[in-house]
Parts: sequence; C-alpha cells; structure tokens
Amino acid sequence: MTTTAAAAPATTPAAGPLPPGLVQSPRMVWTTRIIGIAAAVMVALTVWLGLWVTPPDKVQGDLVRLVYIHPGVAWVALYLAFGLAAVSSLLYLWPRTRSLFWDRLAAASVEVGVVFNVCTLISGSIWGRPTWGVWWAWDARLTLTAVLLILFLGYLTLRRVPAEPDVRAKRCAYAALFAAVDIPLVHFSVVWWKTLHQGATVLNANLSPSIHGSMAWTLLLGFVALTLVFVWMLLVRYRIGALEDYLGTGELEVALLERRSEGADGLAAPGSGAADVTASDVSTTDVTASDVAEVAR
Amino acid sequence: MNYVVAGYSIVLGILFLYGVHLLWRRRRWTRLVARVEASRPPVDPAPGDR
Repeated sequence: MTTTAAAAPATTPAAGPLPPGLVQSPRMVWTTRIIGIAAAVMVALTVWLGLWVTPPDKVQGDLVRLVYIHPGVAWVALYLAFGLAAVSSLLYLWPRTRSLFWDRLAAASVEVGVVFNVCTLISGSIWGRPTWGVWWAWDARLTLTAVLLILFLGYLTLRRVPAEPDVRAKRCAYAALFAAVDIPLVHFSVVWWKTLHQGATVLNANLSPSIHGSMAWTLLLGFVALTLVFVWMLLVRYRIGALEDYLGTGELEVALLERRSEGADGLAAPGSGAADVTASDVSTTDVTASDVAEVAR
Repeated sequence: MNYVVAGYSIVLGILFLYGVHLLWRRRRWTRLVARVEASRPPVDPAPGDR
C-alpha cells in the first residue's frame, strides 16, 4: 500500500493529488515498507525459534516460551510507547520546541501503546493461569499496569473532546505526563513490594541476565521484532494523524465530507445525466453548523 | 502448551488486526483528503499573473 500522491489517482479516480504538505517522499514510503517487512520477518522468526527451536525450561516446562513474547510487548508498551509519549508531551510543553508535531507523535505513540498494553495484560494473564493458578491477581505489578492502561485510555478520550488544536495538545500533554508517573511505579513495583510477578530477567539490579544461550538470543530477537512492529505502527499512525489534522474536522463533519465527495463523483460520472457538473461545482469544504445540526436531527 | 499457543495467537492476532486497521484508516484518510482537494474550486490567479 502506498500513500504517495502519484499512486492516489490510480486507486481513486475522482481524487486529485494530495496537497504538497501531505505528500510523502518516496524514501519515507520505502522506509515504512521496509520496516514493516523486516518486522513481519523477525516476528515470524521469533515465533519459530520460540515455539520449536528453544528448549523447555527445567521448572516451567513449555510455559517458558511465553517469555519470548510477553516481556517484548510489555517493553514496547511501557517504556517505548508511553515513554515516547511522555517525552513528546514534554517537548510540546517546552516553549522552545513547541510544535504540533510532538503532539501528533504523542497521540500516535499512546494509541499504539494502548494496544501493546492490552497484549501485555492478556499474555500475562494467560501465563499467570497455569503458574499462579489464577487469571488475575491484585498484585502490585499487574494492578499498576492495568492502571496505566486506564490512564492512557483517558488520554485518548481526552483527545476526542472538541477543542482548538493548541488547547487540545496542551491538555493532552499534561495528561500524558500525569499518566507517565505510573511508568517507574510499574518498573520498580517488583523491587519495592513483595509481588507474585517475578523480577527483571535481563535489566535486573546487577545487570546480569538470568537467561542464556538460544533462549537469551530468542528473547533478544523478540524484543527487536516487537520494537520494529511498534516503529512501523507509529509511522503509519502518525501519518493518519497528519491527514486527520489537515482536514481538522470532527467525525460527523468528516462523514459529511465523505458523503459529499462521493456525491460529487456521482454527479461528474459519465452517463449520469449530469456530466456537465464538475466536482468543483460541489464544494465539500463548506460544512456548516447547520449541516451538522441537520444530520444530528 | 495450549496456554503458550493461546498466548501467541491472541497477541499476534491483536497486533495483526490493529496493523490492518491502521492500513485501512490510512487509505481512507488519504482518499478523503485527495477527494476534498480535487473538489475544491481552483484558486484564481493573482492579477499580476494574468
């Protein structure tokens, strides 16, 4: 799939070229594609090594194979995605670096992070059932991770509250920083409190990994693969944010724009009896409050 | 091993579906922006350009 202006008319006959600010360079398009392909290949390799090549654990048996995926998704959610969202929000609030780029990056990062956070909780729960005997325990690490998910879901909800872009960006940046306070709490929860959850396998206090050989390499590969998946998703999600911001309208108005532009296509279609009406005669940009109210009724 | 397979399937399934959803959303917005741009009335040239 491509988003270049050159390819757009091939898929959408009535569509014109994208405005200059939204045209992606071929290098960016190819970078995104290569990252996506590399991520898919590495995830497939991780699954193959994790399920068929690495040996079972002496204590946990085959259940240890979840270690190649669960810490990886947790690493992406907690540290990469939410960490990046916090840094981006800070850079937005810093007057010298204030730009909607950081706000858009934070939003993209949080959305992808929420998906990875859900994956973390689900894979952890599936691992917990056979090892602890329960799907869920009100353990410090688990509970704080769930709280983190709720906080960032709140962030996404806040983004949908109608407001001027700058106002929205500012309030969301504060919300992201507030939510990010939970990240170190999640990380150190296994150190500060007595928890069911095991301590760090690699990034422990002595920086001495308690995993070796093919298991360690597969774990590392899983981290790299899921990091690439995150980067790819972030690039695509950022692009969507840029397109959304360009139109700068609410969901309802966008639906109206879509309907009207489809109507314009129909009017201009040959044999429709209205071929003399061009697409430009039907403005799709003059959505007014009365239009919205009319549809709402 | 059932738990392991379930864990891999669910996590990778969620990531796959979200990835497809992202591609669909990008395609939809790209088309919408292109259509809106195409349907905008052409800008009149500046008097000096005539």
